[in-house]
Amino acid sequence: MTDFEKLQQIKKEAAVTGAALLTLIIFWCVAGFGMAGIDVSVFYLPLWAVTGTVGVWAFAILMVCVMVKFFFKDMDLTEVEDK
Amino acid sequence: MNFLQLIPLLLFMAIMVGISVYVRREAASESGFLSHYFVGNRALGGFVLAMTTVATYSSVSSFVGGPGMAWHIGFGWIYMAVVQVTAVFLVLGIYGKRVALLSRKLNAVTVVDIIRARYSSDALAAISALVIVLFFAGTMTAQFVGGARLFSATMGYDYEMGLVVFGLIVVIYTAIGGFRAVAFTDTLCALVMMAGIVLLFYFVLQAGGGYTNIMQNIADNHPEMLEPFSGGNMPLGLYFTQWLLVGICTIALPQSVVRGISYKDTKGLHQAMIIGTFVVGFMNIGINMIGILSRGVLTEPLSAYGTVDHIIPTSIATAIPESIVGFAIIGPLAASISTISGLLIVAASSVIKDVFIHYRRKNGKGELSPTRLRAISVVATATLGTVVFLVALNPPSVIWLINMFAFGGLETAFFWVLIFGLFTKWANKYGALFSAIGGTVCYCLAQGLGIKLFGLHPIVIGISVSLVFFLAGSFLIKDKENKNLEVFFPKE
Repeated sequence: MTDFEKLQQIKKEAAVTGAALLTLIIFWCVAGFGMAGIDVSVFYLPLWAVTGTVGVWAFAILMVCVMVKFFFKDMDLTEVEDK
Repeated sequence: MNFLQLIPLLLFMAIMVGISVYVRREAASESGFLSHYFVGNRALGGFVLAMTTVATYSSVSSFVGGPGMAWHIGFGWIYMAVVQVTAVFLVLGIYGKRVALLSRKLNAVTVVDIIRARYSSDALAAISALVIVLFFAGTMTAQFVGGARLFSATMGYDYEMGLVVFGLIVVIYTAIGGFRAVAFTDTLCALVMMAGIVLLFYFVLQAGGGYTNIMQNIADNHPEMLEPFSGGNMPLGLYFTQWLLVGICTIALPQSVVRGISYKDTKGLHQAMIIGTFVVGFMNIGINMIGILSRGVLTEPLSAYGTVDHIIPTSIATAIPESIVGFAIIGPLAASISTISGLLIVAASSVIKDVFIHYRRKNGKGELSPTRLRAISVVATATLGTVVFLVALNPPSVIWLINMFAFGGLETAFFWVLIFGLFTKWANKYGALFSAIGGTVCYCLAQGLGIKLFGLHPIVIGISVSLVFFLAGSFLIKDKENKNLEVFFPKE
């Protein structure tokens, strides 16, 4: 990978990270505020208190796994010369 | 007061010093002292990178003030706190590879090194170093005070004794071992924090009569704790600003960004993003859940305990058997210790590398011998830590002001400077200077005077003003040609 290609890949990964943040914010809204009106209890807790906390955490871990596996690429950090 | 209770903490601190001494002996055989002392020779693996990033980010307030608020507010507080699951993957995903590559090209060991090179501005670098040292000093003092107060409230010893037992030892092991020691001790701290959460969880549940009993009590007597707005205690605006303050804008914290300079390879970075997201979520949900479960232990109104800061210390003293308190206290103190060491080494690097060595070279003075460089770095780190330690013995009121400004102030100063600087060519030094100075001053004024836009936290003012200043400076004032741009933005 040349320096230019590395920069393009890094920009792509930064954009994917930004998109993941937006996705997480939407999920957080739906899992918390969106579930607040549903009259269902899980472990003596209202549904929103589970999906909006542990649910958001689990979703974030899953999302980072997907990002890393499908969008992030390994690159050599030590080689600085263009090929 | 029982000396036997102190033994677990003393043993823990002895292990920390032992790690530091070991790291220093290892380092003696390697070349490149600055890189070793301030960024661990860029050799951290994924697990250590994740743990040091989380441990530095998680402060004593995460273990004391936060869960105290959860006791008061309920599940809305955990819902808000969980936005911090972004704290590791955002900063490493956006800046991790960028600063790793640039630091190797530029031989940079600090974030300020990279900022100086990007904008070709000594003035911006000097201001950045000043902002880091000032705000870090305020935060470190607050960590010293918070940890010592917790120690005093739960163990029954004097505040000053607490400061000496954990505070002075942190300064010593940080000065001896540098960043690599900080990273390894942070890893141990993070593991101890997680174990501490499990231990506290168990005893608080037991003392409260079990999970079902506690939840039934909350449903019957405090039903607002089960609502996202907590009967008006958690306004929508607070949620919004917390996303900015402890979510999105944390990518600008220099103590997090510098972790991007310190790791070995991208495989480790990817691992750290996953591990870090797991750990930061575990800690935030776990410790705040303990705050809520403490309702089963502390059943009186808040006024009976003082402030929310007294909830967790009182809960520990009430729920945990005396024979185990010495173990239980290590987790929360580890949060304080790891933040102090993480900030101290970055602040010291700003003083030594960004100011002292830079201006020495600029004035044409020769390079320092490795022995002298080593001595100066260790002494400077120890001196900085000792000054903060002495301030913490009797903190003046201005320290609390600086601490209050610190988190948002650092974010305001560096958010646009880093994101535009590292990803756009048009950003120039005038925009960066105006943004860092103007944004930070406006943020501190808004925070100090209590000015709020639409009732939102002053970070909204700080980050908005900072953006306007950056755009105005970059587009209205033309900068001379910056040769370093070729390094930052290589051509095809």
